[in-house]
Amino acid sequence: MACGTRGLCGGRGLLTLKEGAWSNNPLAIQVLGICSALAVTTRLENSLVMGGALIFVCVGSNLVVSLLRKLTPHRIRMIVEVCVIATYVIIFDQFLKAFYWDMSKQLGPYVGLIITNCIVMGRAEAFALQNPPILSIIDGIANGLGYAAVLAIIGFCRELLGAGEIFGYKVLGEAWYTPNQLMILAPGAFFAFGIAIGIFNWIKGPEPEEKKP
Amino acid sequence: MKGSLYALLYAAVLGAVCALLLTAVANVTAPYRQANEEAEQILNILIVLDVNIPSDASAKQLGEIFENNVRQEQRNGVEAFVRFQPDAREQIQAIALQFSGTGLWGPIKGFLALEPDMKTIRGLTFYEQQETAGLGGKIVEKEFRDQFAGKSIVDKDGNPGIIISRTGDPAPNKVDGISGATMTCDKVQNMLNEVIKKISKVKE
Repeated sequence: MACGTRGLCGGRGLLTLKEGAWSNNPLAIQVLGICSALAVTTRLENSLVMGGALIFVCVGSNLVVSLLRKLTPHRIRMIVEVCVIATYVIIFDQFLKAFYWDMSKQLGPYVGLIITNCIVMGRAEAFALQNPPILSIIDGIANGLGYAAVLAIIGFCRELLGAGEIFGYKVLGEAWYTPNQLMILAPGAFFAFGIAIGIFNWIKGPEPEEKKP
Repeated sequence: MKGSLYALLYAAVLGAVCALLLTAVANVTAPYRQANEEAEQILNILIVLDVNIPSDASAKQLGEIFENNVRQEQRNGVEAFVRFQPDAREQIQAIALQFSGTGLWGPIKGFLALEPDMKTIRGLTFYEQQETAGLGGKIVEKEFRDQFAGKSIVDKDGNPGIIISRTGDPAPNKVDGISGATMTCDKVQNMLNEVIKKISKVKE
């Protein structure tokens, strides 16, 4: 269980957090799980709920996979991961259907499709299987946040330019701004996503060159 | 061998725990989900019957509007929702018939609204379908559904039935199908005709 002596696992926690949310961002750097990112970002609210769903699933599955990592037979570890992920996703979907019906209708199949989201499976396989539970939770939060943040930015731009609204409230007046329907449609998602990745990488700067032996 | 046994046992236990958890969650959320689905159903009926509804109506308000404008009854074994005038219950304004059947991938369910003459179609909606998005899924789009308004449910010889097809001559009981979705259109046509035949059986 021990993952360090001080603070967030003695510095490793912060490093994990930074890596998941920023320097190894699942969407902007690894470009994983973009199907849902393109599909649900027509509105900011949808993007935030989807981001929340991913954080919930990623944290939960990372925790369980990490707790079971020494018990799980190596041969069936992937099935175990999918089983755990699917359980969390269905729980989230059921609660959405019960308490947030309109959102559930708008997100449609994309909540269920989190089961096949490469980010969740990737974190379980690449991180939670080798690391202690607390660190795995941090990793789940970091990657979930990284995903949610990029989604929120794309959702913000698409809703603002595509409908002139933010959270459903008109912010760009009809008088001088004609909503650009293209931003709501699929091509708008590609434009917004591509530009977002470009800016992200521009700010982050190039990867430091690997030292040659 | 020992390893395989352990893996099997492990999978069984994990599966059982997950299943138990999901059953519990499904049970807890079931009443809320059902209430939502019922409100959705009511909304669909009100829309197909052209009842005025405020855009921000709550589930409770919808229920009240429904009570004041619509009554549910069986007509020749068909689930029917009759819209009456709020001040004169016998004055029928429109009638919505529930239909359902198997689609290409899963069940299709919807309402067919008729004018009081019981021959002219007023509108058509689907509230459940899983047809191929972009092909059969187009049945929910306005362009397809709007074709039905004003069409007749009987052909020119008075035989009940409608036709959804891209070929053949135009007729009062025929609408255009969707290209690339012949299977879906055929299935929708059959389930509509099933209801139409039932409802037209007893005619004075």
